Amino acid sequence: MQSSLQIKNLQLYRQGELLLSLDEQIAGGEILTVMGPSGSGKSSLLNWLTGTLPNGFTAIGEVWLNDENVSHLPTHLRHIGVLYQDALLFSHLSVAGNIAFAMPKSNKNSNKKQRREKIEQALAQVGLAGMGDRHPDNLSGGQQARVALLRTLLSAPKAILLDEPFSKLDTQLRVDTRQLVFEQIRTHKLPAIMVTHDYSDAEAANGKVIHLDL
Amino acid sequence: MSKDSNNKTADSSTRTIDPYKTDLFTRIVSLSPKFLLLLLILPVLGGLVSVLLPAFSWVPALEQTTVSLQGFNDLWQTPGLIQMVALSIATGLISTLLAFVMTLMILAAFFNSVWLTRIERLLSPILVIPHAAAAIAVGFLIAPSGMFSRLISPWLSGWELAPGGMFPHDPYGISIILGLTLKELPFLLLMALGALAQPELGKKLRQQYKVALNLGYYPITAFFKAVLPVLYPFLRLPILAVLAYASASVEMPLILGPNTPPTLAVTIMQWFNDVDLNLRIKASAGALLQLALTGGLIALWLGAERIIKTCFNGMLVNGKRNYADALWQKITAALTAVVIGFILLALIGLVMWSVAGFWRFPAVLPEQLVLLHFQSAFTQMGTPLFNTITIGIVSTVFAIVLTLLCLEAEQLSKKPLSTFTSLIIYLPLLVPSIAFLFGLVWLQQLVNNQTAFFNVAFTHLLFVLPYVFLSLASSYRRLDPRFAHVAASLGATPARVFLQVKLPQLFAPILIAIALGLAISFGQYLPTLLAGGGRIATITTEAVTLANGASRRTSAVYAIIQMALPLVGFILAWILPKYFFKSGKNSSR
Repeated sequence: MQSSLQIKNLQLYRQGELLLSLDEQIAGGEILTVMGPSGSGKSSLLNWLTGTLPNGFTAIGEVWLNDENVSHLPTHLRHIGVLYQDALLFSHLSVAGNIAFAMPKSNKNSNKKQRREKIEQALAQVGLAGMGDRHPDNLSGGQQARVALLRTLLSAPKAILLDEPFSKLDTQLRVDTRQLVFEQIRTHKLPAIMVTHDYSDAEAANGKVIHLDL
Repeated sequence: MSKDSNNKTADSSTRTIDPYKTDLFTRIVSLSPKFLLLLLILPVLGGLVSVLLPAFSWVPALEQTTVSLQGFNDLWQTPGLIQMVALSIATGLISTLLAFVMTLMILAAFFNSVWLTRIERLLSPILVIPHAAAAIAVGFLIAPSGMFSRLISPWLSGWELAPGGMFPHDPYGISIILGLTLKELPFLLLMALGALAQPELGKKLRQQYKVALNLGYYPITAFFKAVLPVLYPFLRLPILAVLAYASASVEMPLILGPNTPPTLAVTIMQWFNDVDLNLRIKASAGALLQLALTGGLIALWLGAERIIKTCFNGMLVNGKRNYADALWQKITAALTAVVIGFILLALIGLVMWSVAGFWRFPAVLPEQLVLLHFQSAFTQMGTPLFNTITIGIVSTVFAIVLTLLCLEAEQLSKKPLSTFTSLIIYLPLLVPSIAFLFGLVWLQQLVNNQTAFFNVAFTHLLFVLPYVFLSLASSYRRLDPRFAHVAASLGATPARVFLQVKLPQLFAPILIAIALGLAISFGQYLPTLLAGGGRIATITTEAVTLANGASRRTSAVYAIIQMALPLVGFILAWILPKYFFKSGKNSSR
């Protein structure tokens, strides 16, 4: 089945004032880039998609994920993963613990050893072999970003949102991390929305770009 | 998902539901603030009503069902009533004022200096010392044969024998004022520092202070003109709580105050506990008088606040940059040293009494050091110690769980608790406990007469809850909401986000709140005495009883145990986070 994320007739309001309206369909593996100055409603769009719109914001419209309307579902049942500019790793858990937290309990990897093996494999794939027991606060910024990516991917999301995910990394690291993230999105055929104000991000995403104005 | 209810019509295709009211956990969470309100309002208001009715002679239990002013008539005819009221007002007001002024002086003189943190570290342990233990320590220090007269005898005073003297128990309440001031000063100071520790407020105030310094204001003047006007509103509630407590407490006046006559609160307590049940009508009338007295003091304070604000508003912008700053700096430094020295001396004296064998008067040190007093105290301490700890744990655990659920409700609904709820949480701190506790005890006796343990634990909860809430709220509200969002987007249910993401992040603040809750419960005297009907003995009730009459050495041992118990809690709260749920910054890797 072709996975897709669809935004149907969204109108997003701040304090009753129209902030943005959007009607988009993103196929699996595609990355929609949303650009605009701060205050244009980029982050609010992502919050609406995940169901965490703060007070003061209102919206009408629907989110459809793989032909299912998820607009009425609470965040944890939507299966929409988010990557922020900070890795936001849980510092009370190890690197492996952070990823295990995200992995759903299914029959396939219900036993502890299998889960652990899967985590190790995934870590090795992104060049973090053997780092499972490390404390996340002791990793470099690039390593943390990669763990955050793995955490999101292994939660088996149906779509991914990127909230300026590379803006805190320096140039070379930014290119590498971005390449890795986009590769994974394409391999897993996930629809993705990226919010950014960096043109090189938009170029690398190689998809539709939407500019929001204030 | 957050659809606006105003747009329901435009949004007919999707259902509008609150995303957080979806499972059992979120339902429990969203109900918890209402439960909290009931839990606090019912006992306090119920207790007040149950004091109000007997005050007007309506006591069915005593076959008094005609409303009359007999209780008040009896009250007015009590010999020495004026002195009792005056003593309560003077001790409450003067001690609060002294503690407040000294808090301001210390803040002003040491704002942005390393000394402020040092003073904070020195004084914060005082916060956990129960009032009764502090009173015992202060009493020992100023007694005719206490550390003071020993230090100056005989070389300065010429005393070879312990002199007669009026301290403690002086008729003017000076000892009470001293005890209360020393106990409340650290509380107010730490509340102020707590407000300054809020990231935004603290940063803003430090910048304002710096700007004032750059404009040529002297440090103390800069504090009073650029910091205090913004800081004061954050101190108002703690000050009023201190004022309410100081004007109506019984521990300090019982241990340090005069007996002929004592303060109003102590007298009321004696009437209530009298075997003559008819005295209860007079006592209830007295409780109302106490309520009016405390309410009047609070009103007076708020009024004075207004007057001071109006009078000094002009001074804020008169451009004067120096009001004898250097002199005040010296005075404050000296005063701070005296206060800290006083507290240290009191504590040292207490420890020495607890291990003293034979100790002749002018000698500064005891001639023998023995552990006998500890040994004999420990053999009798089993039950009180057990009661203290179990009641503390029960009330604290309940308070912590309820507080966490309420704070979670706040985050799930994305609406802060209403002002009304926040005010109600502090109700037990502002209403004099003597005024509602007796009513509450009568109510508890109506409901069930047998479970004294439960009654005590429940009554403790009323006093533990505000402090636990106060201590946890700011850390909980400061949590980065994105962690919860990330966890939810990874598929974690609200219950899992709460238990596995938020609670571990709050491990250290929760432990501090637990230690604080335990300390508050350990220190309760009047609630324990009344709700337990005298049947539940704790370390604190024993310490107060022993302070009046029993040997000074046994009394010192109990006071030390009283201090040690909460201290153990705080040390654990400080150590445990270094080993569990530690963040990388603390680990040695």
